[in-house]
Amino acid sequence: MNLIDRYVSEVGKNLPLLNGREDIEKELKSTLEDMLEDRAQSTGRIRDEALEIEVLKEYGSPQKVASTYNPHPYLIGPKIFPFYLFVMKIVLTVVVSVMLVLAGVQAVTDTPFMGADFVKIIGQGLGSALSAAIAAFGNVTLIFIIIERVLPEKEIGGFDDEKEWDPASLAKEPDPDSVSRFELIAEIVFTFVALAILNLYPQWLGMFFFTENEQVFIPLFTEKFFQFVPYINIVLIAEILLDIYLLRNAIWTRLTRLSKVVIDAASLALTVLILRTPDIIAFSAESLTGGPFPPEQAEVFVTIATYTFPIVMVIVIIIQSIELVKAVYRLFKMSRETK
Amino acid sequence: MANTESFENVVLELRRGVIVLAALSQLETEEYGYSLLKKLAELGLEVDQGTLYPLLRRLETQGVLESVWKLEESRPRRYYVISAEGKKLLPKLKKEWAGIVSVMDKMLS
Repeated sequence: MNLIDRYVSEVGKNLPLLNGREDIEKELKSTLEDMLEDRAQSTGRIRDEALEIEVLKEYGSPQKVASTYNPHPYLIGPKIFPFYLFVMKIVLTVVVSVMLVLAGVQAVTDTPFMGADFVKIIGQGLGSALSAAIAAFGNVTLIFIIIERVLPEKEIGGFDDEKEWDPASLAKEPDPDSVSRFELIAEIVFTFVALAILNLYPQWLGMFFFTENEQVFIPLFTEKFFQFVPYINIVLIAEILLDIYLLRNAIWTRLTRLSKVVIDAASLALTVLILRTPDIIAFSAESLTGGPFPPEQAEVFVTIATYTFPIVMVIVIIIQSIELVKAVYRLFKMSRETK
Repeated sequence: MANTESFENVVLELRRGVIVLAALSQLETEEYGYSLLKKLAELGLEVDQGTLYPLLRRLETQGVLESVWKLEESRPRRYYVISAEGKKLLPKLKKEWAGIVSVMDKMLS
């Protein structure tokens, strides 16, 4: 193998995995032979190793030559990079929030609010949030590296929404119809967590007590509460769907404002119904005496639970009512403006 | 030396923009890579080999050039020639170029 062949083969090794690798090598060899012949003729020298070295030096290092044939010098190209950042922010926010909320819930339900176990669970929660964030970062990046290489250039161009971008979206001071992405993402995360707990981990809605020999679980709610779960699910799923739709469209329309009013009204109605349903709280002096508390302490717990629940529900109702009024006001304001 | 460097970068960018048009205009008759490089140089446009050869392959992938291997003087050479699609594109590019030249002439005179 002469110097030219070795050079060509070295370039080949550095070429990206393309179908045309052999073809590029063949063309490169042919070009180098042309250059050598031309140089020998024009200078009157004979073709020897010194001339080959001179020509190859001029042509550049094999790595540099190979890089000129690389159609994808980027891991993730500039066209899909903004989309990549957008998805990454959402995924990291969701993953970290879910992990932290889960750790918080576990710390509160599994331990008596203090002590080494509580700190340990919180520490583990932070650790798993960090490793979940790193894993999510890796996975999202990997998916985008694949998208960058698999999708044809025209398709990738589709992510570049510059053509659809409306300069009017920058107009004026904060547009009341523009959506806050951060708020929406946070809402999606927390609604999703609520859905997951309600449906997959209803056992977390209660208290665990560890006595010497056994583990006692006292649920917070009675069966009456769980009759509402399908309706709560419908409202929460509708909320998530609306949020995702808003996230994609980035602007409120009359239809989405109306949907928001309906969803807010439904959740307010549900909360009122739940509050008005008797015997919805499962804590009672009887159920608590099974726990590690003396009867007096159990009674204190029952009293706290009995009063806290309606207070919390009333606060929720007030917040929901304000949200509903705001939603109705914005819907009417929008209707007036567009008339 | 920052000035020299930025001057060279700007010149490089300017040239890069015209290489496609230059190559297409000279490939109405078939040429292999090195012969096209020499031809462009003789006409006054020095193009880096690391720019021209990959560009020819890209233009072929885009369908504006066609290529064929020929055995000459016991050496295989890949000949490039403008395709039917390239022939449609070339006059549009020439018109665009004439527009740019005329605008820049006005600006710089």
